Amino acid sequence: MILRNVAIRHGRKALAAPIKKSLLRTITTETLQQETEAIEHSLMNHSKETHSIEANFNQLPHTSSFIPPRTNGPSSQEVKEAFHSKYQIKATTDRLGSQIDPYYQPHQLIIDPPKPEDVTLELLMASQSHLGHSTSLWNPMNQRYIFGVRQGIHIISLETTAAHLRRAAKVVEGVAYHGGLILFVGTRAGQGSCVVKAAELAQGCHLFEKWIPGSITNGDQILAKCGIKAIDMHDKEVEGYEEKIADWSALKPDLVVCLNPLENYILLHECGLNNIPTIGVIDTDADPTWVTYPIPANDDSLRCIQVIAGVLGRAGESGQKKRLKAAETGKVTWLPPPRLGNPKTEEDRKREAELRKNKRNLGLAQDSVDKRTPRGRKKEEDDEDDDL
Amino acid sequence: MKKIAWLPAGLRGNLQWTQCPRAIISNTFPRGPGFQAPKNQFSTSNHLQASIAAPEVRFKNQGSEGDELEGGAVFNARLVPNSASYFTAQPIFTDDLLKLQNILKRYANLPVLKPGDAPRVAWRSLADYRNLVGETVKAAKYSKIVEVLHRLNHIHPSLMPQEVQEALNEYKRDVNPYQNQAKLGHVNTLGKALGVGRRKSSSARAWVVDGTGEVLVNGKTLTEAFGRIHDRESAIWALKCTNRVDKYNVWALVSGGGTTGQAEALTLAVGKALLAHEPALKPALRRAGCMTRDPKRVERKKPGHVKARKMPAWVKR
Repeated sequence: MILRNVAIRHGRKALAAPIKKSLLRTITTETLQQETEAIEHSLMNHSKETHSIEANFNQLPHTSSFIPPRTNGPSSQEVKEAFHSKYQIKATTDRLGSQIDPYYQPHQLIIDPPKPEDVTLELLMASQSHLGHSTSLWNPMNQRYIFGVRQGIHIISLETTAAHLRRAAKVVEGVAYHGGLILFVGTRAGQGSCVVKAAELAQGCHLFEKWIPGSITNGDQILAKCGIKAIDMHDKEVEGYEEKIADWSALKPDLVVCLNPLENYILLHECGLNNIPTIGVIDTDADPTWVTYPIPANDDSLRCIQVIAGVLGRAGESGQKKRLKAAETGKVTWLPPPRLGNPKTEEDRKREAELRKNKRNLGLAQDSVDKRTPRGRKKEEDDEDDDL
Repeated sequence: MKKIAWLPAGLRGNLQWTQCPRAIISNTFPRGPGFQAPKNQFSTSNHLQASIAAPEVRFKNQGSEGDELEGGAVFNARLVPNSASYFTAQPIFTDDLLKLQNILKRYANLPVLKPGDAPRVAWRSLADYRNLVGETVKAAKYSKIVEVLHRLNHIHPSLMPQEVQEALNEYKRDVNPYQNQAKLGHVNTLGKALGVGRRKSSSARAWVVDGTGEVLVNGKTLTEAFGRIHDRESAIWALKCTNRVDKYNVWALVSGGGTTGQAEALTLAVGKALLAHEPALKPALRRAGCMTRDPKRVERKKPGHVKARKMPAWVKR
């Protein structure tokens, strides 16, 4: 750069640096500077103080378990009182006002299902058991159960339904009376509660989830972990069968009640293979030959299914009651399974143990007495040991 | 055989299953080694002989069963399932589920807590439950039980029935992890608090005392110990981010690893020691990253690789 041009190019910048602001401030007044210093000092002091307070505060024990406040609901005492007062008020004012005629209460069908005698056409109609499927979906084998066609759907004859339901109830009652094992199956959503109730009444088994294919035909594998017990004529558990039960094959139902046969073809097929009678709710689109005792009714209505399951459960209940009543008079309405035999008592066990002991002792004695013992005899002894 | 997970002896003190009435394996149903195949495939029950044309031929030496029949008086016994859920193949599970659903049905009208307010409970894990019942229960099925338990747990504690409490206890895990309280740091009589921290392969112990901001790492000052400014900052980051550099003195011992590892091990150690002095700082320290142990380590070298991931250059042949 040419030196003479410096002043022209950089002008004031090159020659005079600007005065610093802090310098300006010091020049102006002394008092202002003092004041600012004082303020700064006080600020410092203040912050120091707060820090020290903070430190003290943080060291206090209660900060360690500090829980932020939250809006709590009503206290537990209030909730309790409100709940009890609600039921008190309900109890006192429940009967005020008009009397309501008997009306449909959905839970009543589960809590107190109808008996076979209670089955009326009105009940069946009210529970929509007459509604079949669209006429295009029908299975012609159901022709004799169909009353007619209305608005494109088949109507099932209520008389047939009632007659078949009563017949099925008789079958369930008879099987229960003769000490059979009844299995109630309803695997559609919502059928669980009525299936469980029916099984409870009939003292049978229930199934409300998928049927495991092979539970009958391959039960020894599939039901191997499921326990069984021996009971006497009064339904009291009997001791002494433990060893036999341990290698007893899996049980099979003596009657299967299927509330949705369409989804349970495999189950019904297995029953067919094992000569197990079946009862099924047959809608207009189902095949009635899949089951032994069809009940033509609407299997898509939970209410209808609850009525049917309840009736059959009640039938089973009365059969069980009759069986127990007969047992009280000393009449046994069933035969024990062959090869089950008599229960093993303590004496039997002792006798067996002694026998085994004697055999062992004898064997030892034979060994120790002489090696001249004829081999043939000794062999016999061994064989007998093996048999035991 | 079933596998049973046992707890170590030290944990057995407050076991909840001691209150639980059920034995550990309720399914001790003995079965013979080989299952007998059913003799007659085509009969519903063993006593219906009507469909068979001729009676069975009985030989003289057929065995004990003949003797029993000859005896005449056969005991009247029949075999029935233990549980009504026999044909579900999971009778214990199904009975459990039905029992819980029944309880829920009975107490459905009781007032409940708001969704988040119920006491936190760890339910038995699926494996634990399987051990307990000895059945292969699927996860989706066990979740049904847990669903009911969750709902029962929300019943208002002032009105919780005894029966429900017992049912819930049966499904609680033996040790409730939510009752765990983290141990607070300890400040000794001299006002020293020890914190330990680790990072990569270095580990640090830091003693924090009330003071004026002096820091000694292995007897050296912070500037001598760490050449990088970043490392110096991260060594006392716990103090810096809480504005407490001038309020504590730190005396630390560090070993292993390199400078970064040592500095960041110190972060953790100083943070923990500071926490012993001022427990309320925990959220601030966590947000500053002084509470979390970084679990990353040097990745191992693998065969076929040049380093952990690096592969040798691809050669055409």
